[in-house]
Amino acid sequence: MAAPQRSLERFAWRGLAAADRLFNRLYGWRSNPLYQSGTIAVALLGVLIVTGLWLLLFYRLGTPYESVARLTASPITGNWVRGLHRYASDAALIAVVVHLFRMLAQGRSWGPRALAWVTGVGLFALLFVCGWTGYVMVWDEFGIVLAREGARMMDSLPIFSEPVVRAFSGERPVATAFFFVNMFAHVALPLGLAVGLWLHVSRVSRATLLPPRRLMWGVIGLLTVAAVAWPLRMGPEASAFTLPESVSADMFYSFWMPFSRRLPGGVAFASAVAIFAILALVPAFTRRIANRPVASKVDEDLCGGCVQCTLDCPYGAIQMIPRPGERGSKSAEVARVNPALCVSCGICAGSCAPMAIGPAGRTGRDQLARVKEFLRSPELHRGGVVVVGCDRSALALTVAAASEDAVFYPVDCAGSLHTSVIELIVRAGMRGVLVAACPPRDCWNREGPKWVNERIYNDREAELQARVERRRVRLAHVDSRDIAGARKAIAAFAAETAALDAARAEESLEVDATCVTAAGVAE
Amino acid sequence: MIRRSIGFLVAVGTVALVLGASQMRLPAFPSADSIVRVSWSARPERVETCRRLTDEEYAQRPAHMRRRVECEGTTARYELRVLRDSVLLVVDTVRGGGLRHDRELYVSRELTVPSGPARLQVRFVRLDSSQVADESLRADTTGADAWQNRAAREDEERERRRAEAIPAALVVDTTVTLQPRRVVLVTYGDAGRQLSVRSGPQ
Repeated sequence: MAAPQRSLERFAWRGLAAADRLFNRLYGWRSNPLYQSGTIAVALLGVLIVTGLWLLLFYRLGTPYESVARLTASPITGNWVRGLHRYASDAALIAVVVHLFRMLAQGRSWGPRALAWVTGVGLFALLFVCGWTGYVMVWDEFGIVLAREGARMMDSLPIFSEPVVRAFSGERPVATAFFFVNMFAHVALPLGLAVGLWLHVSRVSRATLLPPRRLMWGVIGLLTVAAVAWPLRMGPEASAFTLPESVSADMFYSFWMPFSRRLPGGVAFASAVAIFAILALVPAFTRRIANRPVASKVDEDLCGGCVQCTLDCPYGAIQMIPRPGERGSKSAEVARVNPALCVSCGICAGSCAPMAIGPAGRTGRDQLARVKEFLRSPELHRGGVVVVGCDRSALALTVAAASEDAVFYPVDCAGSLHTSVIELIVRAGMRGVLVAACPPRDCWNREGPKWVNERIYNDREAELQARVERRRVRLAHVDSRDIAGARKAIAAFAAETAALDAARAEESLEVDATCVTAAGVAE
Repeated sequence: MIRRSIGFLVAVGTVALVLGASQMRLPAFPSADSIVRVSWSARPERVETCRRLTDEEYAQRPAHMRRRVECEGTTARYELRVLRDSVLLVVDTVRGGGLRHDRELYVSRELTVPSGPARLQVRFVRLDSSQVADESLRADTTGADAWQNRAAREDEERERRRAEAIPAALVVDTTVTLQPRRVVLVTYGDAGRQLSVRSGPQ
């Protein structure tokens, strides 16, 4: 069984599930931006790099404000690019926060995923600082407010011989060196982002970095239209001698200022560090000690060395090693699971035709034993539809199945489902099997729906045997809390399989006997 | 179709919210007060105590360190006082930077004050008296050792440092009109070696 959610995760998930459902209705699961928050952030990072390089061509260290003002005044080559740069950075920050929240809600923040979490928090911090330095580059009123606030915090560190804030005191013009350092940081930090991103996805196989094209270009297009339709305007130039009552600020990067300005610089700095440190330490709070899921194990006697589990594992936790001991007639290599990387998703159990691998109690053989038990149940209505779905969707699928006169059969993850289970259910006389998998980008185990689809329809190893009538098996993507969607899918499948039964009944009619009987009645 | 339209409207609404939050007015300095910014850096004066070595002490020194007169010292402390209409706003002791206080000293204060005409007094006065060594101790150019010119050179260096150091007392006493949400800067200019009051870039 999957590890139970913590109360904080459950609370977060409730909100997320409601939002997912709404967005699925509006955009469909393929284009649900909430499912794609991480990839959208990466795509927007790409937009930021491209637009940023263009803007950099026109930036002058000696006259920062004037150069940005010239750029802003140019509607064709400057203003909309600057606008897109700005709005993309805002949208990227939102996407990162949604992604962080999603991972927390889905309990994907601890154990082998801790590295991805910690680096994700680091990327969030880097993105934030990058945006900060970007606004300082403009050197308008907002720029100097941010610069002075940053300097105030930095001055709390005992590393400067003189307060940094004196750079903006007005005694002398702000040194070009300051703008150089700031610009250097703004350009160098994205390199840090790239390294952080590499680390972030280093423990997953086949990392998806970009959203589906339609969604990606939709987001970029919408932001571009916004940048053209609402051109940016320059604020007044920064001055050490003027204190504006208010400044035009990007709240995504300055929402904290009303709070921080009431605190001493050191306290404000320590608070910011503490917030990011607490975020980075989330894996320590969310880890399961008592209910820690067990890593998969390999039965080396059964392992045929086919490497399919190493190909299917979404976390690269399985490697092939030379078979220890006497080889005999067996394969030269066997699979070996690295417990430090295994998240116990069980996808390997579904990928192994001879059922040699999987977490304890969840291997293919265990699944077969369990489904046999299920099929022996006296309450089971033979000839009905069986809905197979993951634990996360149990609530929605149980309710939906009951209302459509079907039966729900839970598994850990659709991707861990061994196709022999499907075959056994069909052969037991059930009308059909509807595998209700999560939408692909929402799978808590990353690639479950993808692999089960391949195994059912595309003969991926551990495939559903050809002898199983495909019309009696259906894969549907159902959001974990979407009862209406689940009902619709079950009803449609039940109607189709009922039609199959009706057709089969007609095919099995004994025409002569029927005619004779009919003639007898007529007489 | 209806669902797509709603989806499009939601997307446009979200972008509009992003745009709105991206250009919101953030209160920066909501009060109508002014700020008196006292800010400068300068080299503090060095306070030294010199004494003439006895012949025995002189002989004990390694050859390359032999000087008849040895001086030890630190930098002077200064007292900063800022008054507005004779009301004391700040009193503080300022020392040179660094662990040994031998680096430049700096003053960096921002004082929020009500706007309007005001008499502004800033005093920066040395607290430690510079211990002027006996002239007879100063230059020791006598002697036939290889280092006989060193004392003279160090005296020259000492004089140069003294000339560069901030004066023992700096005072500015002026009446200014403090404009709302404007900064009045009190700073020290190396060239004029005095405090000056500014309300705009030079």
